[in-house]
Amino acid sequence: MTRAVLIRLLGAVAALWLVATLGFAVLQLLPGDPAQAALGGPGSQASAAALAAAREQFGLDQPLPVQYVHYLGGLLRGDLGVSYAQKLPVTTVIAPLLGPTLTLAVLSLAAAWVLAVASALISTSPSRVGRAVASALEIVSSVLPGFWLAAVLVIVFATQLGWFPPVSGAGARSLVLPVASLAIPLAGYLAQTMREGMLTALDSPYALAARTRGETRWGLRVRHALRHGLVPGINLSGWSFGYLISGAVVVETVFARPGLGRALLGAVTARDVPLVLGVTLVSALGYVVVTLAADLLVRVVDRRAAA
Amino acid sequence: MSSRHRAALASLAVLAAASLVLTSCSSGSKGSDEQAGTRTTLTYATGDAEPDCLDPHVGGNYPQALIATQYLENLVSRDKDGKIIPWLATKWSESKDGRTWDFTLKDGVKFTDGTPLNWEAVKANVEHLQDPDTASSTGYLAFAKITSVTKVSERVARVHLSSPDSALLESFSQTWNAIESPKALKRTQKVNCTSPVGTGPFEVESWKKQDRVVLTRNEDYNSAPADAANQDGPAALSKITWRFIPDSATRYAALRSGDVDVIDNAQPDTIKAASSASGIEHLDAPRPGASNRIELNSGNGPFTDQRVREAFIRSVDVDSAVSSLFMGTAQRSTSALSSVEPLHVDEKDAYPYDQAAANKLLDEAGWKKGSDGIRVKDGKKLTLRLPVSTNQSIPAEQSLFEQLQAEAKQVGFDVHISLLDLAGWYEALGKDQYDLVSAPYTKVGPDVLRILYHSDGIKPAPSGYFANHAQIDDKELDSLLTRAQATVDDDAARAELYRKAQDIIAKKQVILPLYDQQNHYLYRSDVKGLRALPTVSTPTFLDVQPLS
Repeated sequence: MTRAVLIRLLGAVAALWLVATLGFAVLQLLPGDPAQAALGGPGSQASAAALAAAREQFGLDQPLPVQYVHYLGGLLRGDLGVSYAQKLPVTTVIAPLLGPTLTLAVLSLAAAWVLAVASALISTSPSRVGRAVASALEIVSSVLPGFWLAAVLVIVFATQLGWFPPVSGAGARSLVLPVASLAIPLAGYLAQTMREGMLTALDSPYALAARTRGETRWGLRVRHALRHGLVPGINLSGWSFGYLISGAVVVETVFARPGLGRALLGAVTARDVPLVLGVTLVSALGYVVVTLAADLLVRVVDRRAAA
Repeated sequence: MSSRHRAALASLAVLAAASLVLTSCSSGSKGSDEQAGTRTTLTYATGDAEPDCLDPHVGGNYPQALIATQYLENLVSRDKDGKIIPWLATKWSESKDGRTWDFTLKDGVKFTDGTPLNWEAVKANVEHLQDPDTASSTGYLAFAKITSVTKVSERVARVHLSSPDSALLESFSQTWNAIESPKALKRTQKVNCTSPVGTGPFEVESWKKQDRVVLTRNEDYNSAPADAANQDGPAALSKITWRFIPDSATRYAALRSGDVDVIDNAQPDTIKAASSASGIEHLDAPRPGASNRIELNSGNGPFTDQRVREAFIRSVDVDSAVSSLFMGTAQRSTSALSSVEPLHVDEKDAYPYDQAAANKLLDEAGWKKGSDGIRVKDGKKLTLRLPVSTNQSIPAEQSLFEQLQAEAKQVGFDVHISLLDLAGWYEALGKDQYDLVSAPYTKVGPDVLRILYHSDGIKPAPSGYFANHAQIDDKELDSLLTRAQATVDDDAARAELYRKAQDIIAKKQVILPLYDQQNHYLYRSDVKGLRALPTVSTPTFLDVQPLS
């Protein structure tokens, strides 16, 4: 057990190192000069002297391997560097954005699970109509593009019906549309994976045995099959988290919410390399933590895995 | 299932249910205020990028100008007819040789940090803009000729120039050259960027990144520009919440729902929708300087031949494309300058739609149609590269480019459109990898022609940036633009020089004007007194009355 956890942790560190290195490499390949980004962005009238000074200040005059080692060294000390555009430490820029994005992600995940469990229970029911409707909804919602869904929700529930505010405000009411935009496609996906696990369980001999013991159909699904359905869903938690963070780029922009996703979009546009890497690494760290947590949770839900 | 697990499941469900209940039962807080009577707080939503720095001296782009107009002011402004009018300076005079200007400053004006407005403030601001560490681009260029600022008296500043500059007043009217508190400018740039201090009707109270800037009323305000309705003190509004809402549909939805009162960057489809919506008004305020135009790179590739440039211009029906894709919200322009510039010249005859003439010109120039309909000369296809900045071109404009691409193909042009982000776009320009390009340029006054079409503008700055994308290199044009800038005492002569310059630009066929730089605001009907400053067309709330 300890050994397994240790291997897991080593793998997590390796994954983070890989993300850091890949991010560093990809940003070198993009067009545009980071020194310019530091001096008011492209199109600025920065003088040669100012550009040289900026290169020196941000260490851009160093050879790439030196920059890379420098950058990794900083990461080990928890130093994500200084944002070119905002001239502030990346950690200072990111810190206030963690809360809003995590709130959005956690609420969306919770809503997605509620919807998915409900849908999986209905779609495995003996009622043909219920089954058909639920599985059709699962498929449709899982393929909806997030940006499209967000736009439609704004038009229908904010502009037409006026039920929810289209932008973030004081009340929690403004969270409804962003959470729905993220949760609905995720719920569709989770429900599909859950349903398959449940159907397998319902076909198994012990299901028949339970029925002969007098278990109702509903009780069979809730008390026995659901447990089998949950495992593949929980195993997808890391993936779900990744989906939510990448979805946050669109949702935070559409609903004008502060957060990591919106910061990432702005940083990419401005060629703000340290901020892009910072957001990427924080997201990757979140992904790794969630995956580890999900592994442990699976051991609790499914005792076969714990053995 | 054991009770432990049931409890876990139940708590998950409770958590989710709680979030739903929480979110559904809290209601909007604004409704009750509105019913209580009038309110003096207003919410503005911008679709432009959130500035990295609220001081428009640093860098100097339009998003900065939009917000800085609320807390910073200029020495002079411009009225609706384009005439320069008093603002922080009550009067000004130039010396006979045009090399020194004296500005008399308004009496009793203080910055919101208590610093008095005096000659030293003018000096500190000019020096701040000229300091390389400030990294000003827009304001820096405008003040290139200023050598020093000296004292005549406490309230009279003398500006010394290296050579006469007829655009000096226009430069002083731009928000990027606004006057800030000299005491505040002495702070670090990091601090000044989050809380610049001016004399404007509002001051920066707080800035929550990615969300909002809160602006509160300057209670001691006493420096309205000469054309403002409110000449006697502070604004009626007590607070402006400045929000960043990048998505066009969301911005409009927020306006409709009353979450915000004013939005900018309204797109053609939104303006159309708003025209039939009750309670929403439209303010069309084209930006000054250059019109939006496609520039034809005459320095490189097929467009070095004037006949090919003429052919391209004749091959596309811009009028129809503009009216259909912009749904009647934009007017076709046939001038190099914005229609708000009094000295703009309409060169309609230079830009006809005539595909027969286009075909003839290309035949004459030796470009023969190949089997695929694309013309070929010396084994080379008639390919035109059009890099498009997705940050600067709105969706309607991108559709317009696609329509022009299809039409140019009919006469044998193969137009390649590449959609790029800003950095990639500048790189394509810097490496001279374009034949066509549309690059907006906002500046007060016709001197923008010198920046865009003087041959000096072909040489890139160290950053790789250059402004003369048409790469027009014409001695006569250079001379006209240089003389126009130096003509300070004779308005008629100056107008004549700019007219001749515009004639040459049209004759050389290096640009295809499209429309004015679009700048549309939508606002709720209870916002009374909103107007755009006739300088850079940014909104001012000084005259806005309490909202109902």
